[in-house]
Amino acid sequence: MDFDFTEEQYALRDLARDLFEKESPPSRLRDLYAGAAREARCWRAMADAGLIGLTVPESYGGAGGNEIDLALVLEEAGRAALPEPLLETVAVAAPLIAEAGTQEQKDEWLPRIASGDAVVTVLLREQRYAVEAGDADLLIAETEGGLEALPSRSYEAWLIETEDRARRVYAVDVSGVSRATRMSGAGAALTNAHLRAAVATAGVLNGIARHLLETTTSYVKARQQFGRPVGSFQAVKHRLADAHAAVEQARAATWYAAYALANGQEDAGIAANIAKAQAGDAEAYANAAALQLHGGIGFTWEHDLHLWLKRGKALEQAYGSGAAHRRRIADHIFSLGTDA
Amino acid sequence: MDLHFTAEEESFRSDARAWLKANTPDPRLPSAGTREGFEAHRAWERSLYDAGYAGMHWPAEYGGRGATVAMQAIFIEEYLLANGPERINVLGLNLMGPTLMAHGTEEQKKRWIRRILSAEDVWSQGFSEPDAGSDLAGLKTRAVREGEDFIVNGQKIWTSYGAFADWIFALVRTDPEAPRHAGITFIAIDMRSDGVEARPIVQLDGRAGFAEVFFTDVRVPADQVIGAVDDGWAVAMTTLGFERDAPSAPAGRYIQGALRLAQLARASGLDDDPLVRDRIAGFYAEASAYHAVTRRTLTRLERGEQLGADASMTKLLWSELGRRMYEYGRELLGPDEGTLDASSPLPDAQAWHSYYWFARAATIYAGTSEIQRNIVAERVLGLPKG
Repeated sequence: MDFDFTEEQYALRDLARDLFEKESPPSRLRDLYAGAAREARCWRAMADAGLIGLTVPESYGGAGGNEIDLALVLEEAGRAALPEPLLETVAVAAPLIAEAGTQEQKDEWLPRIASGDAVVTVLLREQRYAVEAGDADLLIAETEGGLEALPSRSYEAWLIETEDRARRVYAVDVSGVSRATRMSGAGAALTNAHLRAAVATAGVLNGIARHLLETTTSYVKARQQFGRPVGSFQAVKHRLADAHAAVEQARAATWYAAYALANGQEDAGIAANIAKAQAGDAEAYANAAALQLHGGIGFTWEHDLHLWLKRGKALEQAYGSGAAHRRRIADHIFSLGTDA
Repeated sequence: MDLHFTAEEESFRSDARAWLKANTPDPRLPSAGTREGFEAHRAWERSLYDAGYAGMHWPAEYGGRGATVAMQAIFIEEYLLANGPERINVLGLNLMGPTLMAHGTEEQKKRWIRRILSAEDVWSQGFSEPDAGSDLAGLKTRAVREGEDFIVNGQKIWTSYGAFADWIFALVRTDPEAPRHAGITFIAIDMRSDGVEARPIVQLDGRAGFAEVFFTDVRVPADQVIGAVDDGWAVAMTTLGFERDAPSAPAGRYIQGALRLAQLARASGLDDDPLVRDRIAGFYAEASAYHAVTRRTLTRLERGEQLGADASMTKLLWSELGRRMYEYGRELLGPDEGTLDASSPLPDAQAWHSYYWFARAATIYAGTSEIQRNIVAERVLGLPKG
């Protein structure tokens, strides 16, 4: 039994952590909130470090990594509240093109993803809006007819005003589909895309929750009331201890789901449902605790806390809400028969 | 990352499964709350030992088979699936045995360890006192040196199997002048000694579970002290570490619990109710996530790591999950909630009540949830003591 990451995977996590800290500090998120364009520098640095090509097959210039290799990088993206569509491009789109793209689509897009020259986003059925669709080079959309790979000028996109202005979402009109944009496979590849999106979102949520816990723990150690740190009060301690336990449990569930997906296990689907449902609940608990335990200062625009609170709230509902995933879990349990 | 068990471990699993299928008592043993039932359980534990399934991860020199931590976990899982009888010597096997290996003298190990495995000696635990529960260091039971012996006076409480156990490992105060955590000694006391009286305490569900144990001028040879005199707190902390570690709570118990909730919902005609389905799916998700946590734990234990304060997090997770899950079971019983009648149309109405009370006990014993949260907050998150 070896339920742990390799040294290489931990090294990749450290690399991602350092890179996100340097290239995407909270001040950058604030620039985006103020309406600045998402400049390409961070994406370029991520590509140069090998993070964008992580899941692109080696034959197309990537690292050929799987869901396990990506798991800790996604947590770091959450810890940094990274604005880039890492989840969409790296966790979902690259494997989807590799599995369901026509040969032409693979030849055209996979090397460009790996080199950092293409940002790809996705619009799966449970989404109303597509992340970064206005800025992406390619949108993969699930439509009534199947999967379409739409280059940037073949669809229209309108920016939607949202709370989290550092994660831009767009309404898109995909009526411009043609024979040329249709992807070759669907079925299993599409199912995988949904599962990968759920597990990757769970990973990012776990990272957000970790950040919220870390920052709140530091705050309650420093903040003095009644002549002592508020973190010495049991009402505060117990809430943080519960949040910590829930988040660690969600992380284990998410890593298990990544493992099940990477190994094509039969239980990968249910494991993905479990991961997203658990990570969403744990993050929501940490999210509420973080704001409550920061008190008044956490309620200000000036404090950075809200940048993570809002990202967390957005991702709790993204790629299937907890309730939606629990519906699938219930279908699974109640189909098991009476002697289970 | 590789979650497969080795071929050897898988073959061990098939052997254990076959053995349990052939040997698990049917009909079930009488309750261990009576002397007759207790002895029947002792005989069953003896047969587990004879088959090589007791303390099997212990080193061979102590009568174990040097099995891996994974094999131990596999056996616990299979035992659960086989619906094996309650284990009456868990305190000996899980706590006293490992504590002896860590702190005992060669003579003590020779004297007790093998008899724990064979269930010739069933052990109970004498830590809690009426005024020393969560605040264990407040214990008052006194032991005074007299020649080669200690004379013990005082009272222990919430002692599981206290009415029938052969031995008790107890914390006693040997130096009342020392600071609270110093001056405590860890000592083994023969329950059949003169001056030991165990009175069973009837639990709120009417069952006999634990006991209160009174010591009146009990003479205990000084060579039954484990570790150094006045250094019992350190020994006890080792013991509590074993107590809180994961093997005590296999994830399968909670996954099974969620599936039983689904059966109950079906029997109550509630299986199409979206609210009911959402709740049960939530429990199943939590139990499965806890399963992933136990895989992390197993990985660490296999590497020889200690869980330390993380064991408190694990205990918090399984005990609180169990509590909420079985509370929900009672809710699903609906109009049959209070019934203990076997003629109830719902399956196992009685069993749901036992599960429920058992789960409620679990957030209290081995350190309450509140204490576990303090430990997680202070030792894992680094928050200051109150």
